[in-house]
Amino acid sequence: MAPRRQAERTAPAIVGIFVLVLISLQIFLLTVGLEAFITFNAGLAWATASTSVVLAACAAFLYRYLRGPMR
Amino acid sequence: MTKEDRRRQDAGDQRDPAWRRDFPLTSHGEEEVTRREFVRYLTLGSAGLAVSSVGLAAWTTLRQPAMRRPLEIVAVDEVPVGGEYLFSYPTENDPAILIRPGEDELRAFSQRCTHLACVVIWEAGTDEFVCPCHNGYFDARDGRVLAGPPERPLNSIDLEVREGVVWAVGGGGH
Repeated sequence: MAPRRQAERTAPAIVGIFVLVLISLQIFLLTVGLEAFITFNAGLAWATASTSVVLAACAAFLYRYLRGPMR
Repeated sequence: MTKEDRRRQDAGDQRDPAWRRDFPLTSHGEEEVTRREFVRYLTLGSAGLAVSSVGLAAWTTLRQPAMRRPLEIVAVDEVPVGGEYLFSYPTENDPAILIRPGEDELRAFSQRCTHLACVVIWEAGTDEFVCPCHNGYFDARDGRVLAGPPERPLNSIDLEVREGVVWAVGGGGH
């Protein structure tokens, strides 16, 4: 198989693993946010929300990278 | 995939028009689209989690003013020495307890155990709060944990006595 075709087959899998790791972190952050909600701690809630947004942005960037070279 | 199929693919996509990638002729092409779509759904899930976190933070911020809302609880004379009075503060969904260990002593705490939110009971004899669910013990003077699985102290509620009436003026929650 040509190297380019091989890269096109493995890139989605690698990106998918990265995004899964990011989602796992976001789920953990969501539990921390729920803890902050219960304890009326707005500072902690916004800190976890900001981090979750950054991780989502990273996931979106990885997906755009996947779409770019694959077109 | 036959050798002919593989050779045709390896021969170069540059020869094929762009639409050929969206409508692949081989099962190999179908697999690629499936993995990409899976990553797309993962990315959408990630965005959903981020939106949920932001919504949760906004809701927490909106709830905070309730923490400082003054609330009339009960007349001092209605709480006997060694007795208690149950009320809700800062919201209707937050159970709280007012105790009177001594003649001039009034204290109030959130009644939710900081372990798994069971309702705690005041034992006047030992001046402790006990959680019957998992045997958590809290000091009734400052709410700190004495024993058991809880890791955070009970939230104390600030009190004021105005013209013989006890008012809650801050604190509370879980």
